[in-house]
Amino acid sequence: MSVDIAIRAMLQGDDRRFALDVSIVSSERRIVIFGPSGAGKSLTLRAVAGLLTPDAGHVHVDGRVLYDAAAGVDMPARKRDVAYVFQDYALFPHLTVAQNVGFGLAHGWLNPGRRARDARVSRWIDTLELGDIADSFPARISGGQRQRVALARALAAEPRIVLLDEPFAALDPGLRGRMRAELMALQERLDLQLMVITHDPADVEALDGHTFEIREGRVVAAP
Amino acid sequence: MADVWVPLALSLKVALWATAINLVLGVLAGFGLSRWRSPAREVVDSILTLPLVLPPTVLGYYLLVLLGRRGVFGSWLDRMGIELVFTWQGAVIASTLVAFPLVQKAARAAFEAVDPQLESAARVLGLREAAIFFRVSLPLAARGITAGALLAFARALGEFGATLMIAGNLPGRTQTLSVAIYAAVQAGDDRTAAIMVGVTSVTCVAALLLAGWLSPNPPGRGRR
Amino acid sequence: MRLRPIMALFFLVGPGSAGAADLVVSAASSLTDAFGAVASAYEARHPGTHVVLNFAASDVLLRQIASGAPADVFASADQAAMDKAAAAHAIDPSTRHDFATNRLVLVVPAGSPVAVKTPRDLAAGTVRRVAYGDPASVPVGRYTKAALDRQGLWEDVSAKGVPAQNVRQALDYVSRGEVDAGFVFATDAAVAKGKVTTVSEVPTPTPISYPIAIVAGSKQASEAAAFDAFVQSPDGRDILTRFGFRAP
Repeated sequence: MSVDIAIRAMLQGDDRRFALDVSIVSSERRIVIFGPSGAGKSLTLRAVAGLLTPDAGHVHVDGRVLYDAAAGVDMPARKRDVAYVFQDYALFPHLTVAQNVGFGLAHGWLNPGRRARDARVSRWIDTLELGDIADSFPARISGGQRQRVALARALAAEPRIVLLDEPFAALDPGLRGRMRAELMALQERLDLQLMVITHDPADVEALDGHTFEIREGRVVAAP
Repeated sequence: MADVWVPLALSLKVALWATAINLVLGVLAGFGLSRWRSPAREVVDSILTLPLVLPPTVLGYYLLVLLGRRGVFGSWLDRMGIELVFTWQGAVIASTLVAFPLVQKAARAAFEAVDPQLESAARVLGLREAAIFFRVSLPLAARGITAGALLAFARALGEFGATLMIAGNLPGRTQTLSVAIYAAVQAGDDRTAAIMVGVTSVTCVAALLLAGWLSPNPPGRGRR
Repeated sequence: MRLRPIMALFFLVGPGSAGAADLVVSAASSLTDAFGAVASAYEARHPGTHVVLNFAASDVLLRQIASGAPADVFASADQAAMDKAAAAHAIDPSTRHDFATNRLVLVVPAGSPVAVKTPRDLAAGTVRRVAYGDPASVPVGRYTKAALDRQGLWEDVSAKGVPAQNVRQALDYVSRGEVDAGFVFATDAAVAKGKVTTVSEVPTPTPISYPIAIVAGSKQASEAAAFDAFVQSPDGRDILTRFGFRAP
């Protein structure tokens, strides 16, 4: 499984311009992008997911061309087979945990029902130990539980790569260690491809992946 | 006394149709405006808000000029056998028009309040834009839209000026409660007028209570 | 604050100052054009008097007056409305008298393809809508109903009826072609000459006579009487005749 990203974008803020010029090539299962806030990590991740279109460059994942400016390819997010776990999880507040998890399994105009449950949804609920709160709404569950729901939702679609945006930043410091371990265990068990962005050096150390450091829109150190 | 129920039924029929049409048109317009990025957006929004600030008689006049038998569209409709003046359908058009901005503005505000990240999440999870609209945007905007629809219903129920112009005062066909009250007062029939005013008031209060009961709860909190 | 000039101004335009009287005349809608001319002529002869005209269906006017609206003269299009006004003690009965007569006509939109020559033709299937004043509150509607009742046509015609709030609205419906035919006064048809065609005069069981009276409690009783006198004078009669009204 390989990842080959080279994106260039000029973004206009309120009164500042931000130049993004990031190159990431790796064939490891865990990729970590590390850098301070505002460095361009989120933008990079969103470009990979298809939530942002760069000005130039390419994004290849697992041999598939998701984006290539020169060839005129810009695959819409829904077809990219990527999963995205947002920093504040972006759980659908009007759906239960189980409905959230099953959200991406059907692409029609109706949300999954509250009663009946797809077998795949049950499997992921078990895998991430969400059985007790399966029928609860996101507003009622804890931060750690929300993260697991976000993960379950992302994984249920069986993506090729899971993108995680500061996955532990919203958690209590005490919880972070445990969640890191859980994530790593999950990755081992399911053989996932992960791309994690973080500003926390402790994450970098614990995750022990192929780490790229980004500052002011550019990669500065690539081991 | 039976005179009260016919205008009441007519008023409800016209108001319900007008609100139903506005739910579709208003939601679409509100959604479109909430997502459209262009300097022309506020201009379009202002134009769509006009029916709220123009006097109903002015609106009625425009409708008459456009849809009357010799009007711009009216003559064309007439040739196809479609009549709008002096019909309950014309009354529906008048009510729809005056109440439209109430739904559109509420819908736009409601859609703008939906966290865009939720829509991004849905996109990455594989949904097309239409599915995202029905499964994420619309359910989360439902509360605000319902509030707008309520106001629109009440406005349509009480519509008078534009309705009188285009639909006239035909008992049994277009004589809605508001028009009937007006006609009763003109004829000096204060008793009938008073009864109708009472019925209208009770109906409006009932409608508001019902809508409050039906209105969707804040997302994720279920019934109290 | 300059008080003196302001006080002087106040006295100039304040109530009771001679020569600044407003005479409010409430008249039936069918008198719109005729009384407009009468008022202008009156003002020319009585500089300093401003005639304020208020047109609506006669019943509406009498309701206003009975509720205390500050009108000085009331001219209605039928005796029934004036009777109601008298019953409500809204007018000075000693000043009541007829000042004009009119005729009821059946009109159709100019250039209309629908063949209508007499009220009987209105029963035909090709006639979809007929406009007339609402008999509950408009004199022309009462005359129409009485006339059609006499011919046994009221049921059929009212089934296709479009009641109007006053005679001018009925006329407007016909002018616009929104209805296939309508009943208005001959004087109204004359006003909309290019847009409506008069097809027949409709006899009414009671003659169409217009009464006028001074409103009870009018603050301009003498001015009102002068206006009334002008309406009855040869000059006043001339103006009314010009618009199609006939002598009482």
